[in-house]
This record gives sequence, C-alpha cells and structure tokens, in this order.
Amino acid sequence: MNTTEQIGLINEAINKTKEQLRPLGVNFIFWGLLIIAMSLGHWLFPAFIQMTSYSALLYWTLLPVLAMVYTVYYNIQVRDKTGYETHIGRVLKIIWSVFNISWITIVIAALSSGQNPSPTIIFLLGITVLSSGLIIKSRPVSLGGGLLFLLYIGHHFYPEINPFMLNILGLSFGLLIPGFSLYYHKNDA
Amino acid sequence: MPKPLDKLLLNPVRLTIVSTLMGVAECDFNYLKKVTETTQGNLSIQLKKLSEENYIRIRKTFENNYPKTNCSITARGKKCFETFFINLQSYHTKG
Repeated sequence: MNTTEQIGLINEAINKTKEQLRPLGVNFIFWGLLIIAMSLGHWLFPAFIQMTSYSALLYWTLLPVLAMVYTVYYNIQVRDKTGYETHIGRVLKIIWSVFNISWITIVIAALSSGQNPSPTIIFLLGITVLSSGLIIKSRPVSLGGGLLFLLYIGHHFYPEINPFMLNILGLSFGLLIPGFSLYYHKNDA
Repeated sequence: MPKPLDKLLLNPVRLTIVSTLMGVAECDFNYLKKVTETTQGNLSIQLKKLSEENYIRIRKTFENNYPKTNCSITARGKKCFETFFINLQSYHTKG
C-alpha cells in the first residue's frame, strides 16, 4: 500500500463517521409536540388537571419522565443501529441530560411552591437549544434558541401572558420548527 | 529525510480501525467489521494488538445476554496516529 492509498484510506474512514442529525430532529419534534399537547390539555381542561393539589404536579412530572424513558430507549436504539457515537453526539447527550435533570428539578420546585415554572423552563430550554445549534452549526436551531430567549425577555415585559400560550409559542419556535429543519436536513454535520 | 512510519499502523486493517476511532467518541465491533471489511477473527486479533500497545481501549459489556465490544482511542493512540499522519504526508510530498 503506497502513501496515497494510505491517506485515502484514512480520509475514507474518518468521513464515514458523521453526526446523524435526523434522530436529533426526531427528539426535537417528539418533545415539541408532547409539551404543546400537554399545555393545550392543561389549558383546555384545567378543572381535570388541577383536580387535586398534586394532580398538576403529577401531570407535569410523570408524563415527561415516561417520555424521557422512551427518548433514552430511542437514542440507545439509534446508537446501536449506527454502531458509533461521535464526539458531537456525546456532547449533545451530556447537555440534554443536564437539561432534563434541571427541568424536572425546576418543575418540582416551582409546582410545590405554587409558582409558574414556564418562564424559567423557557430560559433553560433557550440555553440548551442555542448551545446545540452552535455545536452542530445549525442556523435554524440557533435561531430557535435565540427566539426562546426573546420569549423569556418578553415575558418580563408582559407577565400577564398565559403560561400555556408561552409554552406553545416557545416549543413551536424553539423545538418543533428547528426539529423539522433537522429532520429534513440533507447534509449531516 | 522522511521519518520512519509506525509499523503498527502500516497494516491497513489497523490503520482503518485507528482512523475510524479518531473521528468518534466510541464505536462497536460490528461497525469496525463493516468499515474494515475483514473477518471477525482477524478484526479481533488486530484489536488485541492495538489494545496491547495501548492505542485503543476495549470495553466489553452484555446486552440482552450477548457480549458487546466497544472501542475508543486512547491519548497515546491519538498521538501516534497524528505522528504517523505527519510522517506519511512528508513521504507523500517527497514522493
């Protein structure tokens, strides 16, 4: 094997391992749709969701925890199918794991003390989405994170905004639209 | 004068393994088998050689009662690969 062939072999081996953006898009779409549906459910049927003093807390923790279990299972399946984990994939896994832990902590702390967790979660989601967008160099995802920041700032000037509306707007622009853009992205990072 | 090349990385299968691991955090045995286009036995031998020289780290786990082998590159492996690549380019430029 001559040097040209060896360099070609190295290039080929490295170029084969690319970050797959479609599964990340699936995660964004899944979580966007889930939280929008949950917000609509709570908005339309408040008497049912707030039936007891703990029912809203259960609604906003139990369903997301079950969804997290499904997400972890889905991502393990994707990892097993591709056969490798890229450095970018590992970084994304870590930052989204930290987001999930922070999110559950905020929800439990806020709902236990009767506060609205939505603005803090929108802020946290903004940080995580913006970081993800910058890491994978995706403009739609970075813009989604930026829009979440704007929504958070907007909430301070207009605190009367319905928290479910805030969730629906934030998740639509911050996760759902960037998720579809990743899903239909042709070239992987 | 070009520097001598690392003999361990002159083997195409071992070079493919190390090149692949340079681009990922971790990858499994089946993926390496696919990219190296070699037999299971030969791949095991080459992985063992790289592991013995501390170029790669092998992590064995069990999944659904089946053994699973995951590999990642070590700091020494990265350094040796980078040196190998620089030396290879010097040969390539002169050639």
